Amino acid sequence: MREPMIEPDVMRISWGPQHPMSGQTRVLLDVDGEKVHRIIADLGFTHRGIEKILENRSFFSGIIPVDRMAMVDTANMSIGYVTAIEKAAGLEVPERAKWIRTLVCEMSRINSHLYAFGLQAESTGYFPAVFLWTTVDREVLLDLFEELTGARWSFNHFFPGGVHHDLPDGFADKVLKAVKYLRGRFKDYWDAMVENPLFENRCDGVAILKPKDALKLGATGPVLRGSGIDIDMRREEPYDAYGDLEWEVITEDACDVMARTKVRYHEIGQALNIMEQIAQSIPDGPVKGRVNAFMRVPEGEYISRVEAGRGELGFHLFTNGTGNPYRVKINSPTLRNMYVFERLAELNEVFVADIPVIINSIDPWYLDSDR
Amino acid sequence: MSKISAADFVKAFQKAHPEAVKSIESTDPRRADLVVNNESFIDAAKSLRDNFGLLMPVSGGAIDYPDDNRIQMIYYLMHPGSRFMLTYRVDLNRDEPKLPSLTQVWDAMSFHEREAHEMFGIEFDGHPNMIPFLLPPDWKGGHPLLKDFKGEGQQ
Amino acid sequence: MMTEEQTIKRAFDNIPGSGAAYNLIDFIAGWSRKYSIWPIHFVTGCCSPEFMQVSGSRFDMERLGVLPFASVRQCDCIMVVGVVSRKMALRVKYLYDQMGDPKYVVSVGACPTGKGPFHDSYAVVAVDDYVPVDIYIPGCPPRPEAIIHGMMLLQEKIKKERRIGVKD
Repeated sequence: MREPMIEPDVMRISWGPQHPMSGQTRVLLDVDGEKVHRIIADLGFTHRGIEKILENRSFFSGIIPVDRMAMVDTANMSIGYVTAIEKAAGLEVPERAKWIRTLVCEMSRINSHLYAFGLQAESTGYFPAVFLWTTVDREVLLDLFEELTGARWSFNHFFPGGVHHDLPDGFADKVLKAVKYLRGRFKDYWDAMVENPLFENRCDGVAILKPKDALKLGATGPVLRGSGIDIDMRREEPYDAYGDLEWEVITEDACDVMARTKVRYHEIGQALNIMEQIAQSIPDGPVKGRVNAFMRVPEGEYISRVEAGRGELGFHLFTNGTGNPYRVKINSPTLRNMYVFERLAELNEVFVADIPVIINSIDPWYLDSDR
Repeated sequence: MSKISAADFVKAFQKAHPEAVKSIESTDPRRADLVVNNESFIDAAKSLRDNFGLLMPVSGGAIDYPDDNRIQMIYYLMHPGSRFMLTYRVDLNRDEPKLPSLTQVWDAMSFHEREAHEMFGIEFDGHPNMIPFLLPPDWKGGHPLLKDFKGEGQQ
Repeated sequence: MMTEEQTIKRAFDNIPGSGAAYNLIDFIAGWSRKYSIWPIHFVTGCCSPEFMQVSGSRFDMERLGVLPFASVRQCDCIMVVGVVSRKMALRVKYLYDQMGDPKYVVSVGACPTGKGPFHDSYAVVAVDDYVPVDIYIPGCPPRPEAIIHGMMLLQEKIKKERRIGVKD
């Protein structure tokens, strides 16, 4: 890699793909003693060429690679692609299917935020216990996914026109039981993480991102909402049942790592409220619209924007009248937030020991930045 | 943050820069599409950022039309007050795609221009850091997202 | 210059019943090695959440002795978990070269085995073009029970290895 030249009196650390806290990426840190002068992100370790693959697949089978773009958050990835295809083909989705989609998307969002919590706790160095709590709590949700769709992680439940499986008998009661269990656990997370003086010491005032910078650098998701700006695609462009349910957009004003943690925490609370509303008052009706696995879509361009756990995910779909898309451009949330991460060393005074804490507050998932 | 609807933005921009605009329309209250001429690419972008409030860079990508012999470069921008999305487009010649870099207006387009360079072969003048991004550093030729890409090194 | 195994073999050759002694040494060594397989904490692709669930509290992998560990020199297994792109495959090879003998490779998921759902992609490789693989665990992602079964198969393979004694 022909990286930028290293300055004199500075040491370059290559924090590589084989490291417990780095994830599947390499980050170059230019350090002088303990202070980090510059951060350079080297992405592309999980590049699979999804945009090229989608040009060779039909619309239905294209949902399979798109699901695997972010395995912890799979429903929110596929809802974006499916919504774009539905706009392009002019398909109507039945009401019950919309509510089931919202339920599955919110469960995915909780899954994704729990993962972020676990990694954030583990990165501060003293709480692998909280990481193991999150694996147990995710099992509750994964059991629900398995009962509904048959698979734990990448379940391909949505297709253009509806969902594949209706809710089994007694599922709504199981959802309510899971909500009650998770609400009890969240008091534990609040005490262990947010209101814990040790955690506050590590996280308060670290990596401040002012609102003006957040807009200029293109932050998205909890990173943007942790700086006080209330942009959330579920409210700006309501899709599925979000327009019919009662929920709030969460923002915090402190702009630091702790603010982003609190945003994720309260978003889990909102997701639990949404799950409860859906389980109690889901309408009856069919769940599959007209199914045509080899559908053709008229020529044109369609953009869909949805809110994934990490931020705004966009699909720009170009069609040309055949059964395959002509081009799919994916606007990934992690790619935007990684640019913010690179610039944080210039905006703040960052120390080497803070780097894992900061990168896990940005919550990157490199498989969707590399596509 | 100011609020201006997508339809009003279209009218105001058309009135302010008639010579720069190749085509501009708003088919949806949340979308606007603007194609500019290559000469006024940077000036129109600066006007979008300073006069019309389109502060947030979202993304950037390109699309290959081999039949028309053009590659269209698309930048996605968002207005933080009214939350609509603008696709800012410019057409390039497919045999020699060159464009001044938009990082002088919106810094965050850096990653997206690096990716467009690797995937389509577009040359960006004045980009601060054009180094390999997603593909391995020993990638032997071939731009993957062009329509006539057959495999690495087989052109 | 003789290796350690050849030295022990030479020393024991003249004692009657040495064949049985070799098998006993191998048995004890194999038994202790198989219950302490330490993989490198290295995930390459999207099967990583399942790897975390296997190390978690319900499907505890550590009760079999499998502890993900950070330093390459102190591990004896690479679990290639998930999609391997061209850029990452080089790192897998570097890590494999840095590990000390005896070392094993487990390919978890459909993607490192044979590219999986990305079979027609220009950027994905099958990992056995780069390192020799011992155990393949199919699935997309494989269930935690399947991963544990794969590790138990690796344990069987280690138990049956004969490094010092007579090959039977």
